[in-house]
Amino acid sequence: MSAGAPYLRKEGLALALSPATSAYRRPGLWRRLRSGNPTEAQLGLILLIPAALVLALVMFWPIAQVLWQSLHFERLNVPARGRPFIGLEHYQRMLWGSDMTWDVRHLLGWRLLAFAGAAGLWWGAARGVARWRTALVWTVVALLVAGLWMGYHPGEAGRWNDARFWNAFSITLLITVASVVGSFLVGLPLALLANVESRWRWLVRIALLIPWAMPRVLVGVMFAWLFNYTNGVVNDLLGRVGIAGPLWLSRADPAIWAANITIVWATSAFVGLILLAGLQSIDESLYEAAMVDGASRLQRFWAITLPLLRPSIAVALIFRTLTAIQTFDIPFAMTQGGPGRALETLGIYVSNTTNSLNLGYAAALAVALFVMSLAITVLYLRWIYAED
Amino acid sequence: MRRQRHGLPMRIAVVLGTALLVINGTFPLVWMMLTSLKDENELIRIPITYWPEAITFQNYVQVFDQLPFARFMLNSAVVSISATIICVLIAALAGYALGRLNMPYRRALLTGIVMTSMFPALVLLVPLYRMFLGMDVPLLSPLVAFLHDLGMTFMPTEVRTPNLLNTYWALIIPYVALSLPIATLILTSFFQLIPRDLESAALVDGCTRVEALFKVIAPVSAPGVVTAAIIIFVNSWNEFLLALTFNTAQSMRTVPVGITMYQGEFAFPWATISAAITVGVLPLVALILLFQQKIIAGLTAGGVKG
Repeated sequence: MSAGAPYLRKEGLALALSPATSAYRRPGLWRRLRSGNPTEAQLGLILLIPAALVLALVMFWPIAQVLWQSLHFERLNVPARGRPFIGLEHYQRMLWGSDMTWDVRHLLGWRLLAFAGAAGLWWGAARGVARWRTALVWTVVALLVAGLWMGYHPGEAGRWNDARFWNAFSITLLITVASVVGSFLVGLPLALLANVESRWRWLVRIALLIPWAMPRVLVGVMFAWLFNYTNGVVNDLLGRVGIAGPLWLSRADPAIWAANITIVWATSAFVGLILLAGLQSIDESLYEAAMVDGASRLQRFWAITLPLLRPSIAVALIFRTLTAIQTFDIPFAMTQGGPGRALETLGIYVSNTTNSLNLGYAAALAVALFVMSLAITVLYLRWIYAED
Repeated sequence: MRRQRHGLPMRIAVVLGTALLVINGTFPLVWMMLTSLKDENELIRIPITYWPEAITFQNYVQVFDQLPFARFMLNSAVVSISATIICVLIAALAGYALGRLNMPYRRALLTGIVMTSMFPALVLLVPLYRMFLGMDVPLLSPLVAFLHDLGMTFMPTEVRTPNLLNTYWALIIPYVALSLPIATLILTSFFQLIPRDLESAALVDGCTRVEALFKVIAPVSAPGVVTAAIIIFVNSWNEFLLALTFNTAQSMRTVPVGITMYQGEFAFPWATISAAITVGVLPLVALILLFQQKIIAGLTAGGVKG
């Protein structure tokens, strides 16, 4: 501390206490609010309070609860067991199955090798060959793999996984890939057509908005009628061109495709609308310049339209993928997830598990769904920002 | 604008494509309407008929006879309109803050709000069910119980929220939350379009900032509010899963849930169901016919900036 410090501090104190200087202080939050003239940041924060409250109460709090709940056993039809904490057992059951046992001797050779590897890493880190942080991370990974995974093996029933979860997972994946690709293949031509100036533009707009605005459940019900085996219009039209229509909704393979077609119908209009907005924001002069240079229609599409449409495509892709992962309404309305479990998506599985009152496991499944959406969002966002 | 001189083949292709687009968009609904005008016997005939041979309105009578469909419509209307009003109010405040005011972390806040729209509604199902069933209020309930134990016996031992299942609130609350992110996004982008000079002029004239908000900004932002309102309304009218789970009493069902109740264990009364669908989507079709441009503007504002 320098010699002048006490003097300075004294003056600072006097400044803070003197009545003359307090008049120069900016009025506080309360005074500004009372006078009806808050600063912009203050007003903004106050205006955001209701939205923050709603989101906190109805979004964040429930999600925290689901996370917590998934670590507990709770079956409302077995009230005697209460709600004990069971750790990650639900996730273990989901990914590896419920009849698993943990055994030290299982795959002992491999586990010894993993331990030797971890020891080697630490030796290397001590000698300065490897970095400490790398060594730490890999040791944790090796111990987890060696300790948890390699110790597990099928129990009495010899079952490796929750077959129903993996069935739901693969169906969700199939529907996601097929319907996202399908809705882009249909949505892009829709957008290109809707972008053409014509007298019938209002009709085009309506045709794009109807699929978007229809309740998804009712779309499912409607298409179940269109795909009806004996009296459906789809099989009638197929019959007219000489194809025998399949039993759409009571066989596993056609049911998946019927559901995919329905989902594509319901969502391609939304993709079309987003892409249409992207098309309309493209500068007209770019096309004129390309025309002067003698570019063909196809060349213009590849060189101008598609690259400039990229942000819109990314947005539509994110929204579509997220809604596809959560697919529930349409397969539920068409076949209740049947025939058998051919249309049981993750969403339907969660809902069925909830209805069978196994709330703990339903929460774990919901978390799995949530993690999948989060992972895809992050992946896409990184991709978009990397493009920038 | 984009009207280059197309060749004849191109023009034919465009006309054909447009026709295909219109048929694709409207055919299922038109088919439902046609189905609803046929009688039950005509429906199970093979080969199927396209145009109804004898138009009958019997199915529409059936819709209202078998189940209280008018009540379903009323429930849906009450829930959707309330959710729309509440959500627009909250989103307008937030949108104004994020779109017009100089706030720190503005973009981050907007991104955060929009990101919440990516939460699956399915995840909310169980915790919201518990919450609406009635639960201890966190923080408050333990405090009250503590005071009770200390000897203040006039205090209750816990504070429970009311049971909201089978009330309108059980749907209004989650619908507000589910539409809030997209509504905020739409309104934020609309507020950004309003010129700042308008507000500064009012401030110079001696308005306070709050007065300026209500007297100058509110009237100008009406189109944006209408757009957001329509989209919230459509979202709320169409929601199925939460309505199915939370409101299980017959008299509290909404339209999408109610329509799925017409099917029996084995029989599908397609004529009645299609008539019910036709009636149930009438409000949506009316909205589309009236506000098509606004809806598209709102959807794309929500989409392109997200």
